[in-house]
Amino acid sequence: MKKKLSEMDYGEQGTVTEIEKDLQKRVAGMGIRVGKTLRMVTKQPIKGPFDVVVDEAETSLGLDMAGKITVEMTK
Amino acid sequence: MKILLMGHPNVGKSVFFNRLTGANVTESNYPGTTVDYTKGWMKIEGEDVEIVDVPGTFSLDPKDRAEEVAVSMLHESRDAKVIAVIDASKIERGLYLAMEIIEEGYPLVIALNMRDVAEDKNITIDADRLERILGIPVVSTVAIAGEGIKELVSRLKEAKPVNVDDIIANAANASDTESAADAGGAA
Ligand SMILES: Nc1nc2c(ncn2[C@@H]2O[C@H](COP(=O)(O)OP(=O)(O)O)[C@@H](O)[C@H]2O)c(=O)[nH]1
Ligand SMILES: [Mg+2]
Repeated sequence: MKKKLSEMDYGEQGTVTEIEKDLQKRVAGMGIRVGKTLRMVTKQPIKGPFDVVVDEAETSLGLDMAGKITVEMTK
Repeated sequence: MKILLMGHPNVGKSVFFNRLTGANVTESNYPGTTVDYTKGWMKIEGEDVEIVDVPGTFSLDPKDRAEEVAVSMLHESRDAKVIAVIDASKIERGLYLAMEIIEEGYPLVIALNMRDVAEDKNITIDADRLERILGIPVVSTVAIAGEGIKELVSRLKEAKPVNVDDIIANAANASDTESAADAGGAA
């Protein structure tokens, strides 16, 4: 199942499958690329900021960014 | 000479800045913005060197005012050297920014800072190997303890522009050598 990063719930994990082009460089600088596994660690993500763990380190995204990243859920 | 301290937010740039500069520090607004930045001076081998504590940025593709200022400061200082400060426990994302700066042709040295934090997370980084791949100085540091700062300064003179194609070739060679070593180990 695919979701936007902004729709992930606390504790959910998935693999990034798509990032809107205008955002790719920006989030690459935050550790997020297609193929990376990330886990949502914000307790009640609604409007953000969305804190996710990627490569064992946290990164924080605003709603504007989190809505442009597609994730294939793995758990 | 001018040196720009660049990196993500919270990687230790200001700690470096404070350890490198003396009393002669000025804080100002970047023209036309409310973004503050600090600059100061230090002496390296008798030469007065200006050091700028550039606002933190994740990439050279700015998404807010502070990041725009960071990128403008870099682009206005075509003859500057850059100290890229990277959190060693988040090396991939830090290297992304460093590579962007390298790609634009700036001479760079890398401070792999927060080595203590990385060690606590069982992350060890082969700085020598990274240095051979990148072709620029890579120094492990713990800025709050002053570790590695002298070495970093002494190696600034080795900063030079490098070609990204060379880095890619070096990385390919490095992984060949590694698999050869692995194969040797297995035999
Ligand atoms: N453990 C550890 N903490 C550090 C190190 N360098 C800086 N810090 C701390 O990291 C935080 C951010 O440092 P700062 O210089 O303000 O980061 P900047 O946003 O890049 O300017 C501060 O609390 C520093 O004391 C280091 O090498 N090890
Ligand atoms: Mg700072």
